[in-house]
Amino acid sequence: MPLAETYLETRHHELRKTRMSMLDGNLTGNLRSVQAGVSARAYRDGYWGFASAPADGADVQARVRQLAADNARTMVGFGTRTTLNLPGAHYRGDQPAQGRPALSAADCGERMAALHAHCMARYPGLRSTRVMITDEHHIKQLQTEGGGQALARIQRAAVYVVLVGQDDQGAPIELAEIISGLGSLADLDWSVPALAPALDRLHDHLQAKRHAVAARGGEHTVVLAPDLAGMLAHEAMGHPCEADAVLSGAVTADLQGRRVASDLITMVDLAHHWNGHELMCPVYVDDEGTPAEDVTMIERGMLRQFMHSRETAARLNLAPSGNARAYGPDDEPLVRMRNTAILPGSSTLDELIAGVDDGYLLLDTSNGQADATTEFMFGVNLAYEIRAGKLGRAVRDTTLSGSALKVLQSVDGVGSDMKWSCNGYCGKKQPMVVSVGGPSLRARAHLGGE
Amino acid sequence: MSAAIRGAAFAIDSAAEQVLQALRRRGFEQVQVTVSDTLRCELNLAHNEPSLLRSNEARKLSATGIVAGRRASSEGSDLGPAGVAALVDQIWSSAQSAPVDEANAVSTGQLLRLRRGPQQADPPALAAALRQLLDWRAAHTPTMMIEEALAAHVRSRSHTLTSGGSVIDCELGWCEMSVFGLARDAGQTSSFNFAGGSAETLTEVPTLFGIDRMMRELTQQVHTQPLGERFVGDVVLAPGAVTDLLGWLMGQLRDSPLIDGSSLFRNRVGDRVASPLLTLRSRYDAPGCAPLSADAFVTPAVTLLDAGHLTQLTPSLYGSRKTGLAHRPVAADGWELVAGSTPLAEVIAAVPRGALVDRLSMGNPAPNGDFSGVIKNSFRIDDGQRGAALAETMISGNVAQMLDQVVAVSRERIDTGSGALPWLRIAGLHFS
Repeated sequence: MPLAETYLETRHHELRKTRMSMLDGNLTGNLRSVQAGVSARAYRDGYWGFASAPADGADVQARVRQLAADNARTMVGFGTRTTLNLPGAHYRGDQPAQGRPALSAADCGERMAALHAHCMARYPGLRSTRVMITDEHHIKQLQTEGGGQALARIQRAAVYVVLVGQDDQGAPIELAEIISGLGSLADLDWSVPALAPALDRLHDHLQAKRHAVAARGGEHTVVLAPDLAGMLAHEAMGHPCEADAVLSGAVTADLQGRRVASDLITMVDLAHHWNGHELMCPVYVDDEGTPAEDVTMIERGMLRQFMHSRETAARLNLAPSGNARAYGPDDEPLVRMRNTAILPGSSTLDELIAGVDDGYLLLDTSNGQADATTEFMFGVNLAYEIRAGKLGRAVRDTTLSGSALKVLQSVDGVGSDMKWSCNGYCGKKQPMVVSVGGPSLRARAHLGGE
Repeated sequence: MSAAIRGAAFAIDSAAEQVLQALRRRGFEQVQVTVSDTLRCELNLAHNEPSLLRSNEARKLSATGIVAGRRASSEGSDLGPAGVAALVDQIWSSAQSAPVDEANAVSTGQLLRLRRGPQQADPPALAAALRQLLDWRAAHTPTMMIEEALAAHVRSRSHTLTSGGSVIDCELGWCEMSVFGLARDAGQTSSFNFAGGSAETLTEVPTLFGIDRMMRELTQQVHTQPLGERFVGDVVLAPGAVTDLLGWLMGQLRDSPLIDGSSLFRNRVGDRVASPLLTLRSRYDAPGCAPLSADAFVTPAVTLLDAGHLTQLTPSLYGSRKTGLAHRPVAADGWELVAGSTPLAEVIAAVPRGALVDRLSMGNPAPNGDFSGVIKNSFRIDDGQRGAALAETMISGNVAQMLDQVVAVSRERIDTGSGALPWLRIAGLHFS
């Protein structure tokens, strides 16, 4: 494993985005953006220096490299510091472009209008619809002082259709259908015929939510649909297994090699493939030039590995895993997840529900948040009561929370289904494009309510 | 430590004018163009140690064109002839396929020239601020692990033009500081927390932005207790949690819920919609803030909640033309809740049963305001006494009702630059 006491990476990063939003048929957002920049990060005398600038200057690359090195040396003003030997190989290779040619603005606008028209015609009680589409394409050319040279791409797209109705008291209620995937909007099938069945199901749920009851606050047996299991993997144990969090004192620091979950649970952060398929955020090389490897955080309930940058790997005397990622041209790499999932088991969703005497089925989630203690929460937009193994009334918006260690140890059933998604962003100083995946799960957790 | 960044000698005003003319030549009837450049000098701490010095130089061109009621926008960073030509073509192409919407328009006659705050970075002062923070941590909160902290100077210049004759030129400089971390003791870990904000200078570290309070309380939150029972009680929300309430309220006054009709306040202007103890007003002269809306209107000072009465809605020009509601432009940042007259200690002492809540960890409230969330970095209150730090405790309620049920406002506030907020005591929350 090559080691270096000095280190320099240079990244040319182009970020292209499309954002369109339609509210009740009105095109309220119609934006395309391109941001292109050059950045350099240098490690000298135990300190880091970083510099970035717009990409169009003639001498920009030489200038940011010099400035990054100068910045690192300037930090010595804080005092001498032990210089780490930064481990890891340096990737050489290009990730080819793939996918269909991008949709035009006209194509996108027509499809959005068709979705709005379909919803208003088919669901006459609706108060409002919102259709939002987004895609972003990162193209990164990376050079490292250790000989790395790579062209990496991240491209993902998402479509959101929000149905807004009103409940029995006349208050607004809403639910969203979201599809997301690898590639551009041209690589997703978001035509009306493709989405119509899912929108029918969404509308049925919205009707049920009109008469929804409050959740009973407290600990309950819950069946989590795959969307929530993916969120659980990311928020509850993913963040505490990022090695910078471990170095900061996350409780996982003392648990490596110990049981942290039911033996039904295996949780991974995958670099680029699973089960023979390229994942939604494929990372072959990270933004430090490290070849990306899969990380098994939890193996049949036992805490095994953490996700690393070169620096965290050096501090813990381990190998880097290719998890150092930078979101934009002005950002330095941080330890971030890539494609994080709980792997599937053998039960069906019906079997998991049938085994619940008194509990809840949680079907859809909004945002989530993690903690160094492994205490997590995420918003639940769509849920039903379970009584004697049968689904009951819909439940008003609530929040799921708990200690991931307790919740994952309480898992007594894991579904054979598996769903991946990559809408939204992970937030940690910078945003980040990630994907999450998971099967259905049954566990004990805390629901907010009266 | 020497200044590490160099300014970009770049004429943003002439660049904006050139882009505006290019869009007009292409055939757009209405145009808005903003060219900006930003320089950032930032020192970072990681794991209680200085770690990184950053120099960012960023440039942005934002343009919107409207032709025959069709609107499109684009952003880029390339201001060379080819970059501008590509951006103009992109907007033209996108606008051609947009639906006609007579509500589309740009601002007219808005004039502002604003130069405010320190325009040059002072890296030695940034370094001194971080040294003060590290020294204070070592002396007063040694179990605190600063996972990351920063001290930064930002200089932002922007020049906005519209085809309606608006000319808005801003040169803003300000400093930022933030601290994020947790405390760890005897193998146990607190929840993370953070504090930070913007100021003209980074003096008074670590009292600035309530950083010292946050760090002291973290060291008291390592050993926690579950609530152990369900009850209805009071919360005393710290300023960070109050931000969540105000964010929901202000979201209800903006375009989207006004246009789709889901806003709970659309027909409530002039009504009392919150406790008479609440007065919310702008402070657009705060560090890093400017009296400007995103659609290029100069925003007059405003009192949005006057003793609980809603004085206006805040639709953009588009939202106003779409709904027929009066156009009342507001800036995104720069708000304050007027302080109360009760010392925080007395606010807490009046709570029979409840919690002192520093941070709400929750999903977005439902459109009707219903929410539930985990109360993080919080202490139990019984008979007016602050007790143990809480673990795994949730509250649920309705944000609109919470605003109405504020029964005390503290005399103390935390000023983070873009906001100055007190602690609020609110009754009637469900604890579980």
